[in-house]
Order: sequence, then C-alpha cells, then structure tokens
Amino acid sequence: MRRRQFLKYGAAAASSLLLAPDALAQSLVRVSLAIEAVDAEMIDGEVVFMLLFFSAGRPRPVIRVTEGDSVQFTIANNDTRAHGFSIPGAPGATISSIPAGASRSVTFTAPRGGTYLYLDPTRAPVYRVLGLHGAFIVAPRDPTTPAGVATPFSRAAQTLSLQRLFETLGPPGRFPGRRWIPPRDRVWVFSQTDPALNRRVDANQTINLATVTANFAPRYFTLNGFSGFDAAHDANTSPSGYVGEPLVLRVLNGGLATHSPHIHGNHVMELSGTNAASAQVVRDNIVERDTWIMAPLDRKDLLLPFERPPDIPDAVYPPRQEPFPLHYPMHCHTEMSQTAGGGNYPQGLITDWTILGPNPSAGA
Amino acid sequence: MADDNIFDGTAIGQEVTFETFGCDVFHANPPTPDRLTPNVTFDLGARLGLDLPTPDFRSIEVWRFDHEQARTNAWPSPTLRMRQGQIVHTRMKARTNTHTIHHHGIEPTPFNDGVGHTSFEVSGEYTYQFQAGEAGTYFYHCHKNTTLHFEMGMYGFLIVDPPQGPGAVFEGGPRYDVEKLWAVDDLDPAWRELGHDAGLCGDDAGLNLFNPKYFAISGAFAPNTLTDPRAVVRARAGQRILIRLLNASYSILRTTLGVDATVVSIDGRGLGRAGSPWSRPFVIPANQPFELTTAQRYDLILTPPGPGTYSARFDFLHWITRAIQDQGRGIAATRIIVT
Repeated sequence: MRRRQFLKYGAAAASSLLLAPDALAQSLVRVSLAIEAVDAEMIDGEVVFMLLFFSAGRPRPVIRVTEGDSVQFTIANNDTRAHGFSIPGAPGATISSIPAGASRSVTFTAPRGGTYLYLDPTRAPVYRVLGLHGAFIVAPRDPTTPAGVATPFSRAAQTLSLQRLFETLGPPGRFPGRRWIPPRDRVWVFSQTDPALNRRVDANQTINLATVTANFAPRYFTLNGFSGFDAAHDANTSPSGYVGEPLVLRVLNGGLATHSPHIHGNHVMELSGTNAASAQVVRDNIVERDTWIMAPLDRKDLLLPFERPPDIPDAVYPPRQEPFPLHYPMHCHTEMSQTAGGGNYPQGLITDWTILGPNPSAGA
Repeated sequence: MADDNIFDGTAIGQEVTFETFGCDVFHANPPTPDRLTPNVTFDLGARLGLDLPTPDFRSIEVWRFDHEQARTNAWPSPTLRMRQGQIVHTRMKARTNTHTIHHHGIEPTPFNDGVGHTSFEVSGEYTYQFQAGEAGTYFYHCHKNTTLHFEMGMYGFLIVDPPQGPGAVFEGGPRYDVEKLWAVDDLDPAWRELGHDAGLCGDDAGLNLFNPKYFAISGAFAPNTLTDPRAVVRARAGQRILIRLLNASYSILRTTLGVDATVVSIDGRGLGRAGSPWSRPFVIPANQPFELTTAQRYDLILTPPGPGTYSARFDFLHWITRAIQDQGRGIAATRIIVT
C-alpha cells in the first residue's frame, strides 16, 4: 500500500492551471488529477485525515479552460476506496466510478463561461466534504458587451444590468479608474472539516449517509485550504490593487455549512448564482451587499469594485496621516466559522484584501 | 503628535504575525488620525453583566454598549442615528478588558474599522471617525473575539438617514410613516459560562458549537414577542410602514410575513437609487418565506390593504442541518396591527 502523504500546514495549493488546447491532440484540453489520501495539518497543529485532488503534486488545483473547448479529465484514484467525478452544471462531465488504484477519463465540452465546482459525488456528501472538491473556471468565448467591454460572462448569458454595470467601470462617474480585465479575479473555495467524520472514513467504518449532515460538527473552516492568518497572507487568495481596479470574486462552497461572508471596506455586487438545476444564473437585479449567502454547493460571482472606501471623510481623502496600503478583512459572520479547534479566533474562514493606493489615473 | 506615534503598537505600518493576528493582538488607545470636527458624537461604554429575565422565569446575561451619560440599560445597545454626509465620532470606552466597535457596512479607513488584526483593540478609549456616505440600515458591534462578543449582545442598530432626515429610506427613495427596527437574535446559555477571551490562545472553548435556547426580537424574548411593544408593529390604515430587519442571530433566519413586503434597500444600499441602475426594488408576496443569513439587513416597505392583524414569524434554522433550532422551538412570532 502507498505510504500516505503528509501535507504540512500551509503546503502551497496549486496555482491556477490555465489550460489551452493541445495542438497535437486537435483541440483537446487535457487535465490530469489524482485523488490522494493525506494526513493534513490544520492551523492549530492537529493532523486530520483528508482526501484531496492533486495536480502535478500539489493539492486543490484550480482548473481554467475556455467555453466550447473539448476537455478531457483523467482522474487517477490513488486511494483505497472507489471514487467518482462530476461537475454540476457541466453536462457530460461525470465519471460514475473510479475503482481504487484505477484511472478513468471523461471528455466533454466546456460549458458556458462561469464558475463551477468539480467534486466527487460518491457516498455524497462524505467524500466531497472530506476534501474532494475544487474550482473549475470557464472563460467565456464571447465575453464582451455590445459596447465591447469585457465581462466574466458570455454575451448570451449577460443581462442588461450586468452590461450596464461593467460599462460603468472605468469612465468618470461612480467607478473612475480602469475597466475590469479577465485576469482580475480571485477564487475562494470554502470548506469545513469535522475530524470525527474524517477519522471514521479513514477507519473504513460504516457511515449512514442520511445522518452525516445532522452529525456534522466542523472544527476547521478554510478558504482555498487555508484558514486565519495564512488565508489572509496567501497571494492567490487575498485580493489587492489600487482604487479603480475592479476584481471579480468567484466564490464556491464545497461543504455542508451555510456561510454568511461579510466584506469590510467595500460593498460587493452579486453578479450570478445558480438555480435548482445547478445552472448558472446571471442576475438582472444586481444587489450591492456587504454580506451574502453561501449555502452548500453555492457558486457565486461577485464584483469587488475597489472603489474608494465610501465612508472615509471627503476632507481627509486620501488620508494624510493614516498610510496606504489599507487592509480590510472578509470573514464569515456566522461566527462559529471564525474558530479553529473550538477557539483561536480568528483563525477560521477569513482573508484580507488590500487597497494599495488611491486611483493612479485620478492623480490623487 | 508625530504620525509615527499615533500608529505605535497597532497593525498600521508593521508586519502582522501569527500571534498579533489572533492570540496576542494589538492593544492601544491612540488619538484619531486625520481627525476632523464632528457633526455628531456618540459616547459609548462597554457594559458587561446585564441579566435579563426570560419568559421561563430564569435570566440570561447579555453584554452591550450603553451611553456613557444617560445610561439606559437597554439591550440591544442604543441605536446610533445620523444623517448622510455628517462627520461622525463614536467615542468608545472599553471599561473592562478590551473591545472594539466595528460599524458594520460603514466603510472607513482600517484604523476606524474596529478590527484588531488590521488596527488594534481598545483597552481604554478611542474615537472612531467616519463620514456617513449612504443612507440606509447598518449596525455596530464589538469585533474582539467576535464569535463570543457579538453573540453576548454587544451590538445595536446604526441608521443613516438621508440629508433631509427621517421619513425617507434614502434621498429620492420611498417614504414611510411608521418605522420599526427588528433585530432578530438567538442566545445560547452555555456560552454565558465563558470568559471574554475564551479560546483566544489555543484552548478549545467550544465556540464552533452553537445551540441557542432563547429567541428575541429587538430585546423581547419569544413568546412575549407576540405582545411586547418592542416587537409588535402598530399603524393606522393607509400608513406606510418601514421595517428595518437585521439578522443578529447565528441562524439562517427564515421570515414569513402575512402581508406583501417591498424590499427597498439591502445592507445600506437603496435599490434603484441614483447611480445604481442595475438594481431595483422587489416584492415578496405575503406568506412567501425569505431567508437572511447572519448580519444581512433588508429594509421592507409594507402597505397593508386595510385594518387588521397581520402575522410575522421568524424560524431560526441551524446553519448546517437547517432544522429549526432547539428541537423545533426556535421560533419567534409577532404581529403587525393596523387600526
């Protein structure tokens, strides 16, 4: 049997894998993932059994493709249990079973541009909650509005409100600065870990799937696999930029708890969510919120406008004494999630974001 | 005072470490940087240890902020009310241990945002400064060991009226004749056994497990909420009612009203207000439940069709199981009485 991998706390997550068609394979985008059993160290030092997707030796890869690509996922199951694979909202992206030690592939057409969750649906929700989930980001093939402004959504999915909002970003007015550009995004995958459940899976105990949710008592709350201090200092997690440089947050919840993320410093605009069939819904009524709902399996895209924090007094903006950069937290307000191991506030589901300086193009 | 001295011992201008992020966070009592002459000042002190009688003939402890002068012993903490455009100072005395005030939804500089790891916790006194930028419904709360301090009750409403004052939700927005503030909360007696810094430095305080037994609307405990004037809305036929609804609980709050409600503002941002053409108000039909998670606010306009008593019911759902809390007892009901 394979010696189980020890995943030291803070082990770097795989950075985004930006995948393009392989010229030799005639437009086929190949993604190779491995399912691994690991002993993962939590932020307080406790070691917990987890199941994780890896790519090129690094956990929790973010997979990025383009709408309409022919995508082939090959999953190597290095665990001792059978697993599977699916991407809710992406038709055809399902592997019903991958026996222990085996490898299986599926080829499908990348769906409409947006934010998706890949996961193991086997023995739901157990294996997903033990860590087998991650972000699958599809770039739209036709992302611009009729006025030629880039958005995160395909033209066919855009609403008039969405087009209006993105066309407002940049020119003088409410959001002076720059247009949104596709590289300006961050992926936030929320997860929760209950070590007791993980121990039972590790010991191959029989688990009544119908009672998993009722008994789920998570002790660790992570964002891209990090929590607390480390999530606040991970460059791939924590957004930064100048005033006038809008950014899209792609937020996913792979766990069982309903989170209530709250962002300081700016309100965010909720751009999209999903319907009961897991299909992407781009909002026509785009609400500005400081707190939004992230139910289990939710996928939402939000705009962090990077506007000047609106309640800094006009007479002292830019601040004369208080220096840039300005650091603000984003954290879940259902505050049980702010703990690790039952305490250690705020080493739970939190990150920081940073305003590096005033709008460079405004000259102030 | 030189700028450097203002920021000594705070997160500004220095590297935050694992320790100063959490267990050994910054404590300070600095002067307010970029200080301006305020239009309105609130003097608040942290007050712990208020025992409130409960309907089951017991009591439960709450912590709160109260006015330094003219103490009210009110819970939740006093409502802070100001007008859009005003320079606001909130002068907070910590009094016991350390506390902060985060004006939730208000977006000032980090030094005035009340978060320990991005600024400092107050051990003596600090004056928070901001300029109220947008009319709407906000709240404020202590952001130290927030899991515990917010649950213990250290919060109150913060309302920004339009420049003309109360009567409209925002400038050019919907008007109202009757206003009601509903802060809907749940309380776990077991957490009353914990100290103010429980769990901060590594001990398992059980703060990941929340099992509320008391359910309240603006300080009135269910089932008294059916008659308590803090919860019950009274209006005359034809009057427009504004309800400012805050989920101050750690539950998913499922709300069902017996009358149509128009959502006109969310989280302090008017829907369809000038400069926001991508949003618009929407109607939630009578008896159709809607959900808010912790810290969300909805401003609702009600125009009941005529005299009568209309129901309002809150189901407190567990954040994981979605079961009604406390074995199905986690419900608070009240009434909207139109005469």
